Amino acid sequence: MSDLLQAASMVFTWEVCLIILAASLFGLFMGAIPGLTATMATALLVPVTFFMDPLPAIAAIVSATAMAIVAGDIPGALLRIPGTPASAVYTEEAFAMGKQGKIGLALGLNVTCSMIGGVIGVLILAFCAPMIAEFAIQFTSDEYFWLALLGLSCAILVSGADPLKGGISMLAGLVIAMVGMDSVSGQMRFTFGNYDLLAGISILPVLIGLFAISELIRRMPETRNRAPLSPPIIKNPFEGVGSALWKYKGGVLRGGALGTVIGALPGAGADIASWISYAVSRKLSKTPEKFGTGHPEGLVSASAANNASLSGAYIPALVFGIPGDTVTAIIIGVLMTKGITPGPDVFVTQGPLVNAIFMVFILANLLLLPLGFMAIRGARHILSIPTGILFPLILMFCIVGAFAANNAMFDIWIMLGIGVMGFFMAENDFPVGPMILAVILGPIVESNFMRSILKSNGDLTAFVDRPIAMVLAIAAVAVWSMIIVNGVRAGRKVPATAK
Amino acid sequence: MRTNDKVTGVVTAAFGAAVIYASLDLKNLPRQDYGAGTFPTVIGGLLVLFGAILLLRGLGNREEWLAWQHPVPLMHFILTLAAICASVVAYVYLTPVVGFPVVSFVLLSLLLYTFHHRRWLPSMGMALTATAIIWGVFGQLLHVPLELGLLEKVIYS
Repeated sequence: MSDLLQAASMVFTWEVCLIILAASLFGLFMGAIPGLTATMATALLVPVTFFMDPLPAIAAIVSATAMAIVAGDIPGALLRIPGTPASAVYTEEAFAMGKQGKIGLALGLNVTCSMIGGVIGVLILAFCAPMIAEFAIQFTSDEYFWLALLGLSCAILVSGADPLKGGISMLAGLVIAMVGMDSVSGQMRFTFGNYDLLAGISILPVLIGLFAISELIRRMPETRNRAPLSPPIIKNPFEGVGSALWKYKGGVLRGGALGTVIGALPGAGADIASWISYAVSRKLSKTPEKFGTGHPEGLVSASAANNASLSGAYIPALVFGIPGDTVTAIIIGVLMTKGITPGPDVFVTQGPLVNAIFMVFILANLLLLPLGFMAIRGARHILSIPTGILFPLILMFCIVGAFAANNAMFDIWIMLGIGVMGFFMAENDFPVGPMILAVILGPIVESNFMRSILKSNGDLTAFVDRPIAMVLAIAAVAVWSMIIVNGVRAGRKVPATAK
Repeated sequence: MRTNDKVTGVVTAAFGAAVIYASLDLKNLPRQDYGAGTFPTVIGGLLVLFGAILLLRGLGNREEWLAWQHPVPLMHFILTLAAICASVVAYVYLTPVVGFPVVSFVLLSLLLYTFHHRRWLPSMGMALTATAIIWGVFGQLLHVPLELGLLEKVIYS
């Protein structure tokens, strides 16, 4: 109880509440603009969070991402352009509802179900995470090595159609993570005599490069060809939401639970959660033929799932220090810079902080309702901002943000280099998610491997001595076999456009 | 800009080989067969393997070596990419000399003129406002050392 009170006193301060509000507004803006994703919002927010204490930093990122996912539904319903990939699955449905004069109901359901899904996710997170942490406290470097490897491997499998390219993306990320001083022997690796590389490549310019600069390179050339958007006026948001929610209550709860579980899988984010939840909803529906014609059943389930997945992703992130998606990878990076290494020990040593994080989640999700209402009312204004104005401003923000982490001009070069590389990767269907996870997990995989190998005096069988390590090892080997087999198979199915 | 799997495979394998080569000089830990070079060598080896699989896959299809598949003309894309790179280069080299406010104002004015307004006055007005906001948030609120440069002499003289 005293832990909870202490946590509440950490959360309910002017500073944290104000940061949650400001970050939510920022996420609202970023999510509502088509092409600006929740991950991009997080990457742009990180330079600011570097200057905050751990709790406000996490609060800012959690609030911004939750709001960005919700705001991403707005252009989808109004203009048939999903604001974020997580909204893509039900864009057609919401737009069709709009054409039937139910645009207020569609957006009202989006916001309300997102809030409910988010809260379900937090409750599952708060209930499960401490129990798993209690179990995980017995883990040694062997288990952590396999767990981190498994996390990376799963990220490749779920990141795209071609696991081979996902694997290459991950390996490139591991190479980035190895630059600088080796943590075990103290030797310099891949620095080529450059003093700026001695401390390694900072995560922040890599993030900004991969998620913001590469997007700018892709979208800036289109600015002059794009006509200004003119969304319709929304008269009655939330009209009929209560009765629709009651009618599809099972779907909302299922979406929330399913989204949390999917979010907890490494690499599977909000977009995969909403696609699967929509598909399951259709499969279980009594009227599957109505899906895609402006029927709210799939929309409620998928809306709940994408926000619930955000909370689910924090289960492996907080318990094992293994990120569930790119946003939690960023959070782990932020926590590490503040001297906090996520893992089961955090639940013992930083109990009030963990409880405070759960409270922040609840608060951020509850805020979705009033701010979502505001976003729907103000959607016309946000969507009419020309991208020709936004993109140059984002570019300047990226440059200053990359510089801000270490006050180093070298980081700006890293940002540009990684940004150009990220653009070419995306153009050639290389997913960037595994790369960022590898940059974060690389040191964890390597240091645990080295610790185990030194402990066992070079005996590799010691890695599978313990039963849990053995199970994790079998799973990791199975996933890697699937990556290679699927990678070879994917080559046989050459896309039609390529022929 | 899409490249054939053959090209991507060769580049990946070459990168892997370079990683292995750069790891050769790294010494093992005392009385151990492992050290700072172990992981990079494994990663490099996997990159060579994956690159080779990609290359073999590429041999089976008839994709062009290099293809531009966007609705935007290639020249337009190259000019925009050049504008982004030039902005970064200009920022890195000019900020220590003339300071953040001047560089940010000039760069933003040029970019806003090019990508949106096509009129100097609104572009400059918006650039000035944005520069002031970024300066306020990063320079004053977060204490990021954004140099005043030329303006330092103007303000403090």
